[in-house]
Amino acid sequence: MRLTPVVVLAALAAGTLPAGAQDVPHRHVVRVLRAERMGAYQGRDRGPEQTDRFSRKVKLGRDGRVSIGNVSGDITVTGGSGDEVSIEAVKRTRGDQSQLANVRIVVDDRPGRVDVRTEYDSGRFTRNNNVSVDFTVTVPNGASVEVKSVSGSVKVTGVRGAVRGETVSGDVTTSDTPRVEAAKSVSGDVTLSGIQNDGDLSASSVSGNVRARGVKAHALDLGSVSGDLAVSDVTCDRLNAKSVSGGFEYSGSIARGGVYDVNLHSGTVRFVLANPTGFELTANTFSGSIRSDLPLTIGGTSGAGRQRGANNRSMRATFGDGSATLTVRTFSGDIVIAKR
Amino acid sequence: MHPTEEALNAYADGSLTAGEAAEIELHLGACVSCRQLVDDLREILRATSDLDLREPPVRVWPRLERAIHLERQDGAPRTQSTDADDARSKGSPAARPTATRSRVVFAGLAAAAAAVVLATAVGIRYLPGRHGDTVGSRPPIETGAQASATGAAEAVESELRQAETHYENAIKGLEQIANAEQGALDPRTAATLQKNLAVIDQAISESRAALRSQPASEPAQASLIENFKTKIALLQDTVALINEMRKGNEAGAARIVSGLKEKGN
Repeated sequence: MRLTPVVVLAALAAGTLPAGAQDVPHRHVVRVLRAERMGAYQGRDRGPEQTDRFSRKVKLGRDGRVSIGNVSGDITVTGGSGDEVSIEAVKRTRGDQSQLANVRIVVDDRPGRVDVRTEYDSGRFTRNNNVSVDFTVTVPNGASVEVKSVSGSVKVTGVRGAVRGETVSGDVTTSDTPRVEAAKSVSGDVTLSGIQNDGDLSASSVSGNVRARGVKAHALDLGSVSGDLAVSDVTCDRLNAKSVSGGFEYSGSIARGGVYDVNLHSGTVRFVLANPTGFELTANTFSGSIRSDLPLTIGGTSGAGRQRGANNRSMRATFGDGSATLTVRTFSGDIVIAKR
Repeated sequence: MHPTEEALNAYADGSLTAGEAAEIELHLGACVSCRQLVDDLREILRATSDLDLREPPVRVWPRLERAIHLERQDGAPRTQSTDADDARSKGSPAARPTATRSRVVFAGLAAAAAAVVLATAVGIRYLPGRHGDTVGSRPPIETGAQASATGAAEAVESELRQAETHYENAIKGLEQIANAEQGALDPRTAATLQKNLAVIDQAISESRAALRSQPASEPAQASLIENFKTKIALLQDTVALINEMRKGNEAGAARIVSGLKEKGN
């Protein structure tokens, strides 16, 4: 890289630097330019992909516990019919082949439990953060599974035990996995299907969407900052859903005595209810509107689509036996109660 | 095996001990790419030393103030005890600058956490709707009741302002740490978190604008407080994630995802 004052000033203009920072002299400039140069340094590992395969089988028993912790790379877990945990892993790098040896796959097996994790050598001068490890793991389908990754997607299929899947950067997907307890990501989507859980399910993402289909759970806790929240074919007793800029849709049935809270800032809240026995609705919006296809009793007046107040933005109403409680607030979105 | 970026930067600065520099030089003798990098880093230092002074635009002053404040903190006496990892890394040119800085950061994190606990404890006193019926409930119609309602509305506004101040203070402290230390995060993750903080800021702005036009609006009040809580929760998680990354605890970082669900709780 050839550096001239012109290049430096261009970096100043384009960079994140406070442009007038020269009286805290050029330390900030140096920081920006160094970051640029270090980016190129990190990009030195652009050669052909080098791989190293790892394979191991461990006897677990049909209802044991498996944990998998990874730093970089995808994790795929599938429930199988045997009583073994089969771990297949591929280490990958585009740098020196020797870097692969500095990343170890550690398998700790104790009675009823198998823990799998990647360990990176942090030598005195070295960091081996350009090696990723992709895991494909088969577990006894009755096992409980906990999967955590920093950068990489998590996918779990056909596991009957309790499942928790979390990643910082990547998607979390489960299917035919009835006992998902938690599924979380920072920057990826969370997609779940086939949940049959007597306990609680927590699903969230900071920027991604959270979607679940075919859900039966005691309590659902859904959250996102900028993503949408959507659950379909759902039955639950408790619901807590929050998003700032995303919308929310609930399609399914509500339980007698159930409690459902939804709190959004700018998104639209939509409940599509199948044969509800009844609920009490408290709905508020600052600048959106409220609409119900179900005949609500509002201030002693019954009728579909009626709401109290001239501005159509605040409602307390009852439908049917009023046994469930729906509390819905969105600052600027609409609130819709529809019949399925 | 290549030296770390920190080690090469320190070598280019000339801030390593003779022994440490000798270790780097041994590597540079055999590695063209690292040698080239060190040459470039030195050229950066040379080029930037000749830059002219320029008058900064007004908008950068708040950022400069924060940066100076943080650097003063860097220069404060270090009384934090070192953990085993720090002890192991003592004398390592690779780890030294980061370790020193990290101790300061962890101290800041503890202070910020304390501030947030305080702010939450005070801020939680304000709960929209506590002071009366929600919007749309029975309006006061008698003259005496009107006076009483006016007093109640003023009390609500006063408490709202107080809560807002506490939330803002907590947010400011957390933002300083998060902004200063965001380099510890993967750039894409950092960008995602920044983008979502901006989403929350926009929501806060909208709530404030609504309150200016309708100070008694319960949805606007509730929305403002909810958005503050969401922002604090996300900043706390961001700082915790940075903390874990700085400690090199990627597994712990994954656990932080657990906390990221708690937006607004």
